[in-house]
Amino acid sequence: MTNYITSYCHILSDECWVNGKKIALQDSDDDITKQLYNYLEMDYPKFFKMDRLSKTAFLGAELIKNNNLALLNYKDDEVGLLFSNPISSAETDLNFLKSYQNGGMPSPALFVYTLPNILLGEIAIRNKWYGESVFTVSENFDAAYFLSYCNMLLNKCQEAVLCGWIKNNETFLFLVEKEDVNQLNLQLSLEQLNKIYLKKIK
Amino acid sequence: MDNIKLQLKQQIIEQLNLESVSVSDIADDMPLFGEGLGLDSIDALELIVLMEGNYNIKLLNPEEGKSVFQSINTMADYIAKHKK
Amino acid sequence: MQTFIGAENIISPLGITAEENFNSIKKNKSGIKQVEKIGFGKEDLYLSKINEENPKNFFYYLLSQCLQSIIKEAKPRIIEANDTIVIISTTKADILENLSSPMIQPVHQLIKEFKLKHTPIVISNACISGVLAMNVANDFIQSNTYKNAFVVGADIVSDFVLYGFQSLYAISDEPCKPFDKNKKGITLGEGAGGVLMSSDSTVFKAPFFEFVEGTSANDANHISGPSRTGEGLFRTVTKTLKLAGVDKENIDFISAHGTATIFNDEMESIAFDRLGMTNIPLNSLKGYFGHTLGASGLIETAICIQSLRNNVVIKSEGFDEIGTSKELNVLTQNLETEVHTILKTASGFGGCNASLIIRKL
Repeated sequence: MTNYITSYCHILSDECWVNGKKIALQDSDDDITKQLYNYLEMDYPKFFKMDRLSKTAFLGAELIKNNNLALLNYKDDEVGLLFSNPISSAETDLNFLKSYQNGGMPSPALFVYTLPNILLGEIAIRNKWYGESVFTVSENFDAAYFLSYCNMLLNKCQEAVLCGWIKNNETFLFLVEKEDVNQLNLQLSLEQLNKIYLKKIK
Repeated sequence: MDNIKLQLKQQIIEQLNLESVSVSDIADDMPLFGEGLGLDSIDALELIVLMEGNYNIKLLNPEEGKSVFQSINTMADYIAKHKK
Repeated sequence: MQTFIGAENIISPLGITAEENFNSIKKNKSGIKQVEKIGFGKEDLYLSKINEENPKNFFYYLLSQCLQSIIKEAKPRIIEANDTIVIISTTKADILENLSSPMIQPVHQLIKEFKLKHTPIVISNACISGVLAMNVANDFIQSNTYKNAFVVGADIVSDFVLYGFQSLYAISDEPCKPFDKNKKGITLGEGAGGVLMSSDSTVFKAPFFEFVEGTSANDANHISGPSRTGEGLFRTVTKTLKLAGVDKENIDFISAHGTATIFNDEMESIAFDRLGMTNIPLNSLKGYFGHTLGASGLIETAICIQSLRNNVVIKSEGFDEIGTSKELNVLTQNLETEVHTILKTASGFGGCNASLIIRKL
């Protein structure tokens, strides 16, 4: 069975690359997530309620989708989501803790983001995708996990799998499909995955 | 009263992260939930936190919040009556 | 190729083996007790807690004890084998002891203590983590990536999680009553649950069962509110039945999620109604263990395996009268009957839903 990486993107601290090509963002002091939101000309008020983890994953998914519109032709339960990171929801966990530690009340809006898989929900809601989704926590980008689980899902019940490693300043997303629809000529393999992951991550 | 309303709008925008909304977008009688401002169930809970944190007003549960959080007008009325 | 499942273990206030736990809940004994002044506003609340004050490193203790117990029920040394993976399921691990990276340290400890060949996979997918962890294990086994998977889930009660659920007004002021008319919300619990899954039936010391299939589906609706139409749960159960090649008529029992929040239980009733499964005997085990979050799917599946061993399904503790818009066949007493095939479901924040089927061979 041969599957293909049909799009990929890197979101770093102040730049973003799609399929190895740098996106022309306007000069700005805004956070990269805000810059990308503007670049994508989005109108999605829910975006501003998300925590940084969800925002980053969400934008990555939008960038890949823009580059791969055929993704929208799959049935609503044929696109799977495999996401991973090293620290779970640590950033929001700390903010939630702070909300009640100094005399304040625990914030419900922060608490709901103290689960890393919420970002899968955000992507699913945006795209009305009802497919398989799994969030894992691993110390480093685990190409072997993504490779084997992508192949399994494509073999079992999915036509495409969107994968993401969501880490501050070195986020990496890639889409895997059964056909090489964008003709990037990137067969899904351990070497290939590690190679394109490391392309922009120093 | 108008001061409280303006202040409330600013607090709501900040506490609920309504970055794409400005104070002038929120009319005093606009429904906060559903068709109007489009707030959801978590926002309702966050408004309870806002009431306690900023006005020292304790709402017992989300049910009680339903009538209070209909609009900026109803919130401001409630605050005027219950502020300690 | 089949996936087999067995060697189940549970650690909870009711005992440290699956058998002890099963025998307790068979007598309808619950681990839930009142704890004084534990809430954010110093309220007395009900919890299913193992110790009054947890010792240091309690999360890791639960994980390693649970794994140790499973190992005792398995062929010697397969934990160290090259074709064995350990899969961990947790929502928050020991969040207050290690805020910046709660999951990675336990992974390193496990590798060292059990001489693991591969780095364990950590599934953190809200309240479906446990069911999902077994589904992932099955997928790895079916694709021949690994032959054996030790799947262990654990979560502990912390102020962090308790205050969070309180901020959502989701905590009951009495022991939880899943699916009941008078339900008032969740009771939190802590503990660990685990199983061994393998394509090799010779790794089990005691009788084992078949893990037939498992899938997941998202509601694509809301990050914290369950779908009003039960969409994701409906879809995952439909998919699991289809891929398993099992007719719903052949499901003898459903181990539901049943958290006792109004919206969750209502969502489940709607999904089971759409599935045409409301007549199948069903329970929620939250009335015995509380909601153990990342451990719940594993604890509840371990109880299902015990039901297969003993041909008894357990009454749904806390339930008297149906409180959902669709009728469900919620068990009001233990049922001694030949149980062959069980459906286990779970739903959680992020709109996630998962289901799996296990059966006798």
